Amino acid sequence: MSEILKSLVVSSLLFIGASIPVHGAVVVSSKLSSESVMIGQMIRLLLNAAGIQTVDRTTLGATYVVRKALLAGEIDIYVEYTGNAGFFFNRPSDPAWKDLRKGYELGSKLDYAANRIIWLTPANASNAWALAVRKDVARANHLQTMSDFGRWVSGGGRVVLACSAEFANAGTLRSLEKTYGFTLRSDQLIVLAGGETSATIAAAAAQTNGTNTAMVYGTDGNVLAANLQILEDDLHAEPVYAPVPMVREIALKANPQIAQIVKPLMESFTRDTLLELNARVQINGESINSVAEDYLKSKGLLK
Amino acid sequence: MMKTWAGRHSIDRLGALLSLVGAVSLVFLPFVVFKANRIVPGDARSLSQILALAAVLALYVILALVASTALFLRSARSRLAAALIGVAAVTLTLGAAGDALTPLGNQVVRVSPGTGFWIVLICLGLMATDAITRMRPGPGIRVLFLLVFAASAAAALASGFFDHLSVMREYEVNASRFTREARQHVFLALGSVTAAVLFAVPIGILCHRVPRLRAGTLGTLNLIQTIPSIALFGILMAPLGALAAAAPFLSDIGIRGIGTAPAVLALFLYSLLPVVANTMVGLGRVSPATVDAARGMGLTSWQVLTDIELILAFPVILTGIRIVLVQNIGLATVAALIGAGGLGVFVFQGINQTAIDLVLLGALPIVALGFSCAVLLDALVEAIQRSAR
Repeated sequence: MSEILKSLVVSSLLFIGASIPVHGAVVVSSKLSSESVMIGQMIRLLLNAAGIQTVDRTTLGATYVVRKALLAGEIDIYVEYTGNAGFFFNRPSDPAWKDLRKGYELGSKLDYAANRIIWLTPANASNAWALAVRKDVARANHLQTMSDFGRWVSGGGRVVLACSAEFANAGTLRSLEKTYGFTLRSDQLIVLAGGETSATIAAAAAQTNGTNTAMVYGTDGNVLAANLQILEDDLHAEPVYAPVPMVREIALKANPQIAQIVKPLMESFTRDTLLELNARVQINGESINSVAEDYLKSKGLLK
Repeated sequence: MMKTWAGRHSIDRLGALLSLVGAVSLVFLPFVVFKANRIVPGDARSLSQILALAAVLALYVILALVASTALFLRSARSRLAAALIGVAAVTLTLGAAGDALTPLGNQVVRVSPGTGFWIVLICLGLMATDAITRMRPGPGIRVLFLLVFAASAAAALASGFFDHLSVMREYEVNASRFTREARQHVFLALGSVTAAVLFAVPIGILCHRVPRLRAGTLGTLNLIQTIPSIALFGILMAPLGALAAAAPFLSDIGIRGIGTAPAVLALFLYSLLPVVANTMVGLGRVSPATVDAARGMGLTSWQVLTDIELILAFPVILTGIRIVLVQNIGLATVAALIGAGGLGVFVFQGINQTAIDLVLLGALPIVALGFSCAVLLDALVEAIQRSAR
């Protein structure tokens, strides 16, 4: 019996030992969503190509887990969204988050002062809640922006919106209504309990109970598959959730080139490129790594 | 007249139920579901739309023969053989449907098993397990069955015949990560159970020897058991993170606020109660007369424990270990949320992308793993009990 015990103890210790990090390598991480993983893999590929050693810790966990890991120094870099800083620093109602540039400046200032975390270049795209209408409806009524939508609805447009209870009740819908001057009657709203965007998108795609508008995330690939058109938040009613790589100062000092390597990548993203890349992963089921590599090559960022 | 007929050709009740359910779902429920891409809701397709008439007829004839075996034959061996032939027939048909529905070179469309397929498969599986139970095989034979099933399933998947089915598509895309996460999943479950046994058995012995400790210990462990798993994983992150920050050498050996350490610790805590309780019960069942006799022969207290009590209690303790191993294989899924990896990564990524195929890529191996461990440890417990007799 004691022989078995001994071998069990030794093997447990070996298992723990196997997770010791490689010193000097940059630990690249991400949240669980396919977009975060994809941009994380792109960053990792670019760093490797520049001769910087990396450790792949993508799909680490939910937002609070990855954020905590960054602050604890267990990972070095990952892609967060600018608007989330409102929650990290407990000031979600600050109007700065509604503007990409102001939100970026405020967030990076706060994060550097408090945690020595440096925000690199943000992408010019927002993964915030948005409204998307069926393409046929958008074309017939010339809907491009939320201002168009407000005009259409208040002029008697036949809209039926599918959204989550959180979206309808926690102020997001009200702030859109106030900014764009429209009001939705209760019979124009279909409130879905779970609040998954997949369900709202499916409702609009299948025109369930006449639904023609859905609550979506701004860069969700499912939007393309369902033939929906995202409406631009042209008056900035909503916080901006722009992807931005965040890196620990210590890791950046050890490899200062990281900032310059990541910059052209983040600048290459628009909402449409992200939508398309996300759709390849989410809808076609292509491997995240191959989509990441393809994109870098097509943009000439990787040979 | 009726009575004698029924007497001679008595209809098997379970066979009748399974045949009825199987036949109804084969006729009325979709056998395969076709999706234009990974996330749209699928269209049900009936077999006659997809495959050549001869192939569909062949399947129906085979299943009719399987059903009549289930209804009328008593021999457990024939029933098992018929059920397995049925399983082979429906899975091969599914594979063929996958090939037929996938346009050449198309990587976007998805072909998934429909509810009809799953229910027929479950009926056949129940028929097979029922037949195996009737055969009353010994532990060795049961393990052999498991190995043969596992090997044939592995060979079938490796053959490429099922590559056009949705779950295999997900596997193809995630092949390298799949091996890594599966290994991590096994490590999380086995590592935590091993650690728990090292602590729980001594605690159980102590509680057995010192009755005063029982109520408090079991009460505390019961309390831990009631904490929802996701909450316990979350609770452990803070103290471990603080510990790692205070003593950096701990962080170097992997004791950190996220990742494997909190996951193993949480699974470890969940494992304590069943093992402690079973150790106490097992030791309690050893008859006082046996212990007295051993003492009378001059054995020391330690010798009585290791040579008599633990040996006799071992099957009960092992049953406790079986419970926690199967439990932890399931619970380890949640560990993916705190950076510990494991097959749960696919489950949560799949939920995140609304890709049910990816969820299945994580969930099906977890079910298979749990089932296999249950069969193996049950056989082990029985083998030990037999040799003790």
